[in-house]
Amino acid sequence: MQAETFIIGYGNADRQDDGVGWHILKNLAERLGHTVPDDPGESIEIESGQVDLLFILQIYPELAETISHYERVCFVDAHTSDIPEQISWMKLDPEYEKSPLTHHMSPKTVLSISATLYDHIPEAILVSVRGFHFQFERELSPQTAALAEEASERIWLWVNQ
Amino acid sequence: MVAEKITIEPVTRIEGHAKVTIHMNDNGSVDHAYFHVNEFRGFEKFCEGRMVFEMPQITPRICGICPVSHHLAAAKAGDLVMGVKPPRTASLLRELMHMGQIIQSHGMHFFELAGPDLILGFDADPAIRNVVGLIGADPALTLRAVELRKYGQDIIYQVGGRRIHPNFAVPGGVNRAMTEEKRDHMLIGLDQAIETTQIGIQLIKDWVDANIEDIEKFAVFHTGYFGLVTPENGLELYDGNIRLVDKDGEELENFKSQNYLDIISEHVEDWSYLKFPYYKKMGWPEGVYRVGPLGRLNVVEKIDTPLAQEEFEVYRQINDGKPVYHTLYYHYARLIETLFAIERARELLEDPDLMGNDILNRKYDFKGESVGVIEAPRGTLFHHYWAKPNGQLERVNLIVSTGHNNWAMSEAVDSVAKTYVKGPQVQEGMLNRVEAAIRAYDPCLSCSTHAIGQMPIKIDVMDAKGKVTQTLKRD
Repeated sequence: MQAETFIIGYGNADRQDDGVGWHILKNLAERLGHTVPDDPGESIEIESGQVDLLFILQIYPELAETISHYERVCFVDAHTSDIPEQISWMKLDPEYEKSPLTHHMSPKTVLSISATLYDHIPEAILVSVRGFHFQFERELSPQTAALAEEASERIWLWVNQ
Repeated sequence: MVAEKITIEPVTRIEGHAKVTIHMNDNGSVDHAYFHVNEFRGFEKFCEGRMVFEMPQITPRICGICPVSHHLAAAKAGDLVMGVKPPRTASLLRELMHMGQIIQSHGMHFFELAGPDLILGFDADPAIRNVVGLIGADPALTLRAVELRKYGQDIIYQVGGRRIHPNFAVPGGVNRAMTEEKRDHMLIGLDQAIETTQIGIQLIKDWVDANIEDIEKFAVFHTGYFGLVTPENGLELYDGNIRLVDKDGEELENFKSQNYLDIISEHVEDWSYLKFPYYKKMGWPEGVYRVGPLGRLNVVEKIDTPLAQEEFEVYRQINDGKPVYHTLYYHYARLIETLFAIERARELLEDPDLMGNDILNRKYDFKGESVGVIEAPRGTLFHHYWAKPNGQLERVNLIVSTGHNNWAMSEAVDSVAKTYVKGPQVQEGMLNRVEAAIRAYDPCLSCSTHAIGQMPIKIDVMDAKGKVTQTLKRD
């Protein structure tokens, strides 16, 4: 049976706090009773029936088709000091956001493609957690690790609403 | 009016990446423009001390856009360091994965990044000049475009078991054989991928006919051209000699990648962290050259797959058989390469040796130093390793594809700014054209980290005293 809720963590787990999405997904997977490999590779996919989890390095256009099958989608990423909140919780509406020079896409852009191409807009939120250090490491900085725990708890509550 | 400086700073990633500065004259015209790469990764230093066998896993972390290219270049360098030739089956499988990378990267670039500018117009309302606007204009085509990228990604997944960072190629071969089920699965989507690419080629041909005036004044300049070729000077993306031709297509060099340090050197400017490679014998800056789709189609004399060859013959008529030098033709060349990659994927999938089980050669004859080279989607990629007898790396030199085009991108920005920017009140269409000049080269400026929260693009207009007089931003 298709789950109604889909959580997508994205970032580079090899670049310390940029991979906070991976750590949060791992936390949620454990709450759902799933074992997660220590090496995230570039992707994990867990279909639990209650909530599906996906970790990816970056957002890509065909994700629009995937999210069009869900009622609720939560994107999880890191953010830098430009956003004042330590944990930012933002409701997302479809909107194309141009990324001038790169192949990177934003959650709003994927929602926009889903709305236009697949005629479905899931309820969507973006949870971003402040990153402090972006070195070549897989361990989160202590500050981001603490925030990741708090963010996981809040997402878990949202999942079970 | 005082002299001004305009800064375009697309800080989409935490590492800053790149920005454009446009220096204005007193009369409101452009004096000069620069394309700066303001990041320093230190990745080569980071790799020192690691084992050569680890490199196909470590180096793809440089980039989330072309990780397969780094994966394969590292494995090829590893083959040569260890003095081992992969079995034919392994080479076919590696090349098939590489075709998947070309298809997904080129497909996404044309249809999702560059296509909206071309199809909807540089001056179209930014609110609709994007892939969503494209959906409105042609939903069936957009659906096909999404499928094309997905098809390329699926090849990578079927061959390597992962979509972005495969654990597949190793020095001496690969670690997983092909199954009939996977091969048949990949063959199913091939015809549709060809059709979609052919639709794209027709789109670009129609666009060229309708926009020839713009094409002939948009970042038009001569350089040399550089890329891998087959022994008969055909298009080659996986292996072969490197051919360098001059602006008229005359061959300057045809050399083995191992000898690249005899052929090219790197110039340094104090306004960019990215070095500027050039042809040594001609010196700097006369020896600058271009790589990537435009460069590759200028160094070859033919393409060894029928549909791509047919399109290549038409393409080469643009400049009566001589190198095509207009920047905007990168898009046209990119689609012909996509067609080649899909046709080549079919050849590989239909080759009986692809299904072999002899996939790894462990008869090492340690050489210690070697160069792995591959044509990444955006140009020639070098991995040069120096290893101790135990396989530990003492030194690493990477020349990434985007680096070869560094001079050309800066020249393109300068040229486009001088052609289109008038007065200090910068219009959105101007900003978009400057971006488009860079975008044509499809640069990859280290996208491996992407925390959100910084401004995607910003232009500061400053007077001679450094005071900001105008700011434009694109959220």
